[in-house]
Amino acid sequence: MNQLVIAPLLVALVTAILTLVVRRFSTIQRGVSLLGGVVYVAAVAALWTEIDPLGASNVIAYQVGDWRAPFGITLVADSLSVFMLALAAVVSLAALAFSVQYVDEFGQRLSYHPLYHFMLVGVTGAFLTGDVFNLFVWFEVMLMSSYVLVVFYSGPEHTRAALQYVVLNLIGSAVMLLAIGGIYATTGTLNMAQLAERLATDSGNIARLPVLGLSALLFTVFALKSGIAPFQFWVPAAYRAAPAPVSAMLAGVVKKVGIYAIIRLYFTVFAGLTIPGGLTLPGLAGNSALAFFGPVMFIMASASILLGGIGAIGRDDVDGLLAYSSIGQVGFIVLPLAIGATVPGVRTLAITAALIYSLNHALAKGLLFLASGSVFSAVGTDRFADLGGLTRKNPVLSGVFFVGALSLIGIPPLSGFFGKFLVFRVAGDAGATLALAIALTGAILTIAYFSRAWNRGFWGSESAMVEQGGTPTGIAVLSVLAALVLLVGIGFDPVYLAAESAARAATEPQTYINAVMGGGGK
Amino acid sequence: MSETVATQPQFVLAGVLGLLFALGTFLVLRRDIVRVVWGVTIISQATNAYLVTMGGFAGSVPIISGHGGHGSTTDPLVQALVLTAIVIGFGTTAFALVLTYRVYEEHGTIDMNELGEST
Repeated sequence: MNQLVIAPLLVALVTAILTLVVRRFSTIQRGVSLLGGVVYVAAVAALWTEIDPLGASNVIAYQVGDWRAPFGITLVADSLSVFMLALAAVVSLAALAFSVQYVDEFGQRLSYHPLYHFMLVGVTGAFLTGDVFNLFVWFEVMLMSSYVLVVFYSGPEHTRAALQYVVLNLIGSAVMLLAIGGIYATTGTLNMAQLAERLATDSGNIARLPVLGLSALLFTVFALKSGIAPFQFWVPAAYRAAPAPVSAMLAGVVKKVGIYAIIRLYFTVFAGLTIPGGLTLPGLAGNSALAFFGPVMFIMASASILLGGIGAIGRDDVDGLLAYSSIGQVGFIVLPLAIGATVPGVRTLAITAALIYSLNHALAKGLLFLASGSVFSAVGTDRFADLGGLTRKNPVLSGVFFVGALSLIGIPPLSGFFGKFLVFRVAGDAGATLALAIALTGAILTIAYFSRAWNRGFWGSESAMVEQGGTPTGIAVLSVLAALVLLVGIGFDPVYLAAESAARAATEPQTYINAVMGGGGK
Repeated sequence: MSETVATQPQFVLAGVLGLLFALGTFLVLRRDIVRVVWGVTIISQATNAYLVTMGGFAGSVPIISGHGGHGSTTDPLVQALVLTAIVIGFGTTAFALVLTYRVYEEHGTIDMNELGEST
C-alpha cells in the first residue's frame, strides 16, 4: 500500500479546497473543516498502522508518477515521519476544534479554514518529502499560509509583526535555495537517500568541504524556522500577533518541522559525510560532519534555553510569556541533539529524548496557547496586571493551564516529566556536565516564570476585568488536551517505543536508502 | 579552447551575483519598507540566477535540438528548479507588497524607525 503515503497530504489539500468552495456557507465550512481534521487524523493513523513503528517498523516510499528515485519526486514515510505526523495531527485537530468557537464569524468566513489546511498541507509535505528541493517547496507552502495567519487580525501590531516575519523568512528561503543549489552542484543529487548514499560511500569523489559549509548554511535556515538562538527574535512578536489556535500550531507543529529537518538531514543524510584529515576547526573532534555540528548546536541550544527562560520571566502578558518560553523549550529539544551529535554512543537515546520533548512541547504549549486564547475571550485581555483571581471564576480553565504549566516544568505523572528526564539522562550518560548544568538552569527558570504567571494571573483576588468577564470558549477541547497530556505520561511505554523506533530510523540510513532507491515503485 | 568559452560565463555571472547580493543586502538594511521588499526581491532573483549558474555551462543549450549529436548540454534540472523558485518568488513578492500597503494603511508610515516606536 504505497499510495497510503500521500493520504494525509491529499486529505489536507482536498479539505483546504473544499473549505474554499463552501466559504459562503459558514456552518457547512466549519463542518467540512472539522471533518477534514478528523479524516486527517484517520489517514495518519492508517499510515501509522502500515509503518508499524512499534513492531516491524517499515519504510514506505511512494514514487510520484512511478518515476523511480532519484529521477522522480519521492515521498517517504518511516517511523520518524509518522511520529511527527501523529504529533501534527493531534495538535492540529485540537487547535481546529478550538478555533471553530474562538475565531469570530467574519474571520471564519474570510479565509481562516482554507489557510489553516494549506498550512497543514505544507507541514505534511515537509514531513514526507524525500528530496531536499521539495523540502524547500513544502516549507514555502507552509510559510505562505502562516504569513497570512500571522497578519490575520491586521491591526497595527499584527502588520508590524508579520512584516518582520515575512522579510526574515524570505531571506531564509533565499539562503535555503543557495545551500540546496550548492549541494546539488557539488554532489549531483537532490534525493536525500542518494545524497546519504553518496556521502557515506564515495565521499572521496565529492568535494567534502563545500558540502560541510553548505550544510552549515542550510542549518541556519532550519534554526531560523525553529526559532533557536540567535534566530529567535521573530518569535515573540509573531506568536503574540497570530490568533491563539494559530500560535498553538506555530509553536506546536511548525517549529517542529525545523527540528524534523535537522534530525532527518543531519542525522540521516549528512552523518555519513567525513571531513578530510588535517582540517582543524574549533570544536571538531573526529572526522564526522556531525561532530562539527555538535558544538554549534550546543551553543545555540544553551543560548536559547537561557534567553528564552530569562525573557519569559520579564513578560507582562500571557502570550509573550508563552512565546519566550517556547524559545527556551526548543533549546531543550536541541540540547540532546547536540549531545547526540558529539557523542555517537548516545545518539539514538538523544534523538528519542528530542522527539519525546517535541511531543510534550507540542501538546503542552498547544494547550497553554489555547488556554491563553480562552482567557482572552473570557476576560478581554491577557495582561497579568488586569488578570487575577481566575481560579475562583473559572476553575476548569485555570486547571488546564496548571496542567500545561506543570507538564512543561516536568512534574511526574505528566508527559513533560519524561521529556525532561530523558534530556537529563542523555546528558548524564554522555558525561556532559555543562549540558546538565544548563538544563538544570533552564528547568529552574521554567519553574520561576510559570509560578510567576500562576501567581499573578490566576491566584489572588479577582480583578475588575475578571469579575465582569464572560464565559471562556473551548473548555471541552482544552480538557481533552489536558487529559491527553496526562494520558501520554501515564501510558508512556508505547510513546517511548515509537520515539525510539523513530530515532533508530533516523540513525540507520541504510534501511531508508534501500526503501527509496530499491525501486519501491510498484 | 572550448573549455574556456564554457567557463567564462560562470566567472561573469559570479561577479554579477556578488553585486546583486550586495545590492540586495544594502536595500534590506534600509529604513524604507518598500526598499526592504525590493532588497528581498533582488536577493531572491540573485538566488535564482545562482541556481542556474550552479548547473554549470557545459553546453550552449539546455535541450539538444534533433535529439543528440550536438555536443554537451546544460543540466536541465536546475532550470526546472529555478522555474519553481521563480513562481514561489512571484507569490511571496506580491504578498510582501500587499503587506507593505497594509502597514502603510495601519501606521501611516513606511519608515521602519517610526514603525518601531509606535506600539
